[in-house]
Amino acid sequence: MNLKQKKPYLKKKYQYGTSLIFIIFFVWILLSGCSSTLTPTASPTPINITSAPTITALTANSEKIVTIALTQEPKSLNRSYSSSWSTSILTNIYSCWPWIYDEANVVHPYLLIEMPTVSDDGLVVTMKLRDDIKWSDNTPITADDFIFTQEMITNPANTVYSVYPYDLFMITAPDPQTVVMTFDEVFVSWMSNLWSGTLMPKHILQPVFDAAGTLDTAEWNRAPTVGCGPFNFTKWESGSYLRFDKNPNFWGPAPKLDAIVFQFVPDDAAQTAACLAGETDICYLPRYEDMETFKKAGLNIVFEPSGYNEGWFFNFRDMASPGIRDLNVRKAIAMGLNRQSNTSLRMNLVEVNETFWDGLPQYVDPSIVPYKYDPEAAKALLESSGYKDINNDGIREDKDGNPLIITQGVLESPERQKYQQLAQQQMKAIGIDLQTSSYNYDTLFASFTDGGPAAVGALDIMQWSDLPAFPDPDSSYWLCDQIQTDSNPYGFNYFGCDKTLDKLFAQQSVAADPVEQQHIFWQITKYMHDNVLYLGIWEDGDIWVVSPHLTGYKFSVVTPFFNIPEWDVTK
Amino acid sequence: MGRYIIRRLLQAIPLLLIISIAIFGLLQSSGDPLATMGGKRVTRSEDRARLARILGLDQPIYIQYIYWLVGNDWVKLDIDQDGIMDSYGQRKGVIRGDFGNSLVARGQSAMDLIMERIPNTLILMIPAEIIILLFSLLVGIISALRQYSLTDQLITTGSFIGYSMPILFIALASMYIFAVNFRKWGLPYLPTVGMFDPKIGKTTGQVLIHMVLPIFSMSVVSISGYSRFVRSQMLEVISQDYIRTAYAKGLSERMVLFGHALKNAAIPFVTLVGIDIPFLLGGAVITETIFGWPGMGRLFIDHLTRFDTPVVMGILMLISLAVVICQLLTDIVYGWLDPRIRYT
Amino acid sequence: METNVPLIEKPTSAEIEKPPLLLSQLVFLRFKRHKMAVAGVFILIFMVIYAIGGTFFKTEAFSLVTDTTIRLNAPSSIHPFGTDAVGRDILARTIYGGQISLLIGLIAMVLEVIVGVLIGAIAGYYGGVLDSILMRFTEAMLNIPQIPLLLVLGKLLGDKIQPVYIFGREFSGSVIVIIAVIGLTSWMGLARVVRANFLSLREQEFVTAARCTGTNNRSIIFEHILPNTMAPIIVSATLAVANAIISEAYVSFLGVGVMPPTATWGNMLNGAYNYIETAPWLWIFPGGLIVLTVLSINFIGDGLRDALDPRALTQAE
Repeated sequence: MNLKQKKPYLKKKYQYGTSLIFIIFFVWILLSGCSSTLTPTASPTPINITSAPTITALTANSEKIVTIALTQEPKSLNRSYSSSWSTSILTNIYSCWPWIYDEANVVHPYLLIEMPTVSDDGLVVTMKLRDDIKWSDNTPITADDFIFTQEMITNPANTVYSVYPYDLFMITAPDPQTVVMTFDEVFVSWMSNLWSGTLMPKHILQPVFDAAGTLDTAEWNRAPTVGCGPFNFTKWESGSYLRFDKNPNFWGPAPKLDAIVFQFVPDDAAQTAACLAGETDICYLPRYEDMETFKKAGLNIVFEPSGYNEGWFFNFRDMASPGIRDLNVRKAIAMGLNRQSNTSLRMNLVEVNETFWDGLPQYVDPSIVPYKYDPEAAKALLESSGYKDINNDGIREDKDGNPLIITQGVLESPERQKYQQLAQQQMKAIGIDLQTSSYNYDTLFASFTDGGPAAVGALDIMQWSDLPAFPDPDSSYWLCDQIQTDSNPYGFNYFGCDKTLDKLFAQQSVAADPVEQQHIFWQITKYMHDNVLYLGIWEDGDIWVVSPHLTGYKFSVVTPFFNIPEWDVTK
Repeated sequence: MGRYIIRRLLQAIPLLLIISIAIFGLLQSSGDPLATMGGKRVTRSEDRARLARILGLDQPIYIQYIYWLVGNDWVKLDIDQDGIMDSYGQRKGVIRGDFGNSLVARGQSAMDLIMERIPNTLILMIPAEIIILLFSLLVGIISALRQYSLTDQLITTGSFIGYSMPILFIALASMYIFAVNFRKWGLPYLPTVGMFDPKIGKTTGQVLIHMVLPIFSMSVVSISGYSRFVRSQMLEVISQDYIRTAYAKGLSERMVLFGHALKNAAIPFVTLVGIDIPFLLGGAVITETIFGWPGMGRLFIDHLTRFDTPVVMGILMLISLAVVICQLLTDIVYGWLDPRIRYT
Repeated sequence: METNVPLIEKPTSAEIEKPPLLLSQLVFLRFKRHKMAVAGVFILIFMVIYAIGGTFFKTEAFSLVTDTTIRLNAPSSIHPFGTDAVGRDILARTIYGGQISLLIGLIAMVLEVIVGVLIGAIAGYYGGVLDSILMRFTEAMLNIPQIPLLLVLGKLLGDKIQPVYIFGREFSGSVIVIIAVIGLTSWMGLARVVRANFLSLREQEFVTAARCTGTNNRSIIFEHILPNTMAPIIVSATLAVANAIISEAYVSFLGVGVMPPTATWGNMLNGAYNYIETAPWLWIFPGGLIVLTVLSINFIGDGLRDALDPRALTQAE
């Protein structure tokens, strides 16, 4: 190509056509090259909890390593310093809980000889430790470690994320195998709130604390080389992975695997790709859209109800709109939302829950009848309550002529935004104007002083996924003293104060008899259901996608890796 | 020129100070680090008060800034909540090289966190930048020399498609094609995520093979953009008289290109590269997130979303320093490329 | 003795009276000659008509209708572009999305170009203290991270700005905020490039000549030097449109700005992220429209550059 002869205005005749042709060409290739594999499913496809697949011979000198993908990297391996779920689920691997929950969420003693005994007045809880339990350096685990842990958590020199509930009791050890916790007031949910992976080795950390005056900078927080679990901490490569190797001194049954590796994959779609390619053996909480793809690739899918439920929380405080404070409007909303059909957003693979406690079915009143999708009944109810569409704009007005506008805020996620659009349409069909907004976590839950929309009661309906103090049914969401005001800017109650409900919650928190507590919750769930203070959207359980080479696994919700010594790989 | 450099460096100091104040204010007003410490539950008020006091977050903004800048070991604080200000603070302040401790990964210094990740980012970004530079020049020059020909049309269309796609897409699409599908179809395949396979370890081979897809994704967008600049500037230069003269003198095409044309076409290109280089330190947030690369980009976004001011300020100040230095270097390079440029 | 020197023809009176063309007329004539540029103009006009005129075929309400029974349907006769994940018609959404995306893309680009060129030109031409101040300001702006800035400004200003009404459609205040933020945080590169070119060009002879003849500074900057540095400005402007549209997508992804169900080409691409392999029509259509818009601006830019090129003025007549 000769620069001298270049004249930019020649050769124009090909320009127009060629560009356009290329565009069309590219588009055609893309459209034809990517075939659509997603067929809309009308009926839900059942998810199987599969049993072990066929076992083939192991190749010689291959280490048995399982790789698990995590989207969130823990910030600390000391459970008291980090509340994130990533730290919590890891504690079954390198640390130990006094009791564990199996795949049916039934609790069993683990470090203890038997489940702890509670005194008659409910104030004293006694734990009897086994005598064969020891740390990975062969030092026995004794009551001293429990006492040390409680001291460290409640010590103001340590910036643990929360002292609760270790500041509620006094702890003593009459002998090295017995731990006695004496509470000031009855604390019913001690089982789900205490010792959940927080046990710290006194013989390692006491010297550290004495030398530095605090545990904040302890090496052990990032490298817990001495642990009490079936696997020992080996390495943490920041941003990449965490590795745990078999604990040769484990006091329990020897693990079959040689090592476990947790690889950090922050993006959902990338996690799916990694599982499909076989680079990771387990994926946790993948996207619902990928379920079909996983099944086609031969991976096993395990669905565990976790106690989490996605739901609409109704605001019945004074500043909520008059519409939402009208029980008839709330009932109409419950009947106007097509919750069953909306589960198509999750490929119809989830169930609609009716109460906040559906994850703990024993606490739900069995006489509750779910609200059925019945838009005609909803419309009739609104009509008869005085909400008519006077000016024919599709939205009903109340007796004073004010349009029926309900504001809703959701914790942002693409899925919730889609749900909002479905809900908006369904509400419009019965004459309610649902105005929705999406907020990120910090904006939605900003404090009262910062004007956070949930805190100041600016939203009539709020949607997010949450659970009670699972596996305990306790919740502070509806306690009257948790409502946020100028003098109490950090409470948990965004919804309202109902005297009856408040009294019931107070009763259950001191009910020492579990049957009595259960019956009080029946009353709570029935009351809330009748008054439509909460509308269930769907169950938000755990989903584990597992490689076909893995056997022996069972997942629990509270302690997901409780039976990790039994896991095995085949090739 | 020497005086100019010294003047610029002196100007940099108040500039960095002002930038640090602006960014500090911006970060403080964008969110509250204590809100997310409770995990999925909102932090209890007693815990919030305790943490705020210990971490120094209960002070007014300007005091927090001063502590950040010059430390608080010359001031007595009340750490143990007994009302008596009896213990000295522990921080030395940025002036003395202490960027403070992370609020989220408590107990670790911000500088440690950053230093852990910088090598990973540089390993990815430096080869990426070199590839981008080379290919942008190549593609731009070819496109300019063959203006309006078939090659040029192909390149133009490809560039615009490449530039108009969000990098999210390109990253994910390339991952699916080259890692997942190639493996399925039995072709030689690339790994999906991470800097290396944890089971094998951080070997050179592993890192190289894991680098391919992230670099590819970043390159597509950047090359598409830069090559347009190179092309348009080359077209400008090519039609100049002195180029025609050079040919008339009998110089070969290569001599004309590299000896005369490129130098003059390079100025905008050098400008853009100069702007880009400091941000190499910041990593490529989206690419790193999708490919799970343990770099500065992920560190930044992880700690930004949790409003971990010390770490985020540390990263941003490093980048600021790099920006100032790179701009100075760019200006010096202008002087070399075009001797007519004078700085008054 | 008779010589064969040809007589110089005197121009006839008719020819003398024809006035010379104005610069703008000249540019226009030469632009017309550039077929690709004209094609670009037509494509752009078509885009605008598509976005505006499409409202006569599909109402905005239709673009919001969700019907999960037909979700993720491939393109068909009822839904020429297919349906998205909640069953909305993609064609309708690209029409209404186009209005917002084009608005954001074009206005942010204009803002960026004006600010970048002004700052770069002034800094490059005058030099000295003015250059230092402006360049330090540019560096400061480069250092401010876009994400927190967007979050904070979005929160602060999003509610305070009044919605704008164009063609009977309401554009919320957040659109204005996004345009302002994207436009005001992306000009730094262009300013540096323009400044570099000015530094180089102001030493050239034609500038000295212009000064000698007493041309004022403003005229020198805009009528003498600037036309010579059009090339990078044009390229910047082209890329700026694509950049603005994609930035808007990223911004809505963060939760600030145009929220679903309001569509923009950018947030349609966001929604398609989950379905790259399984439902490619979700991203091909909005993506294709973005590419077409950017291409058209590119061609217009090419035409403008060639039309304004002062060197070519003497050649191509």
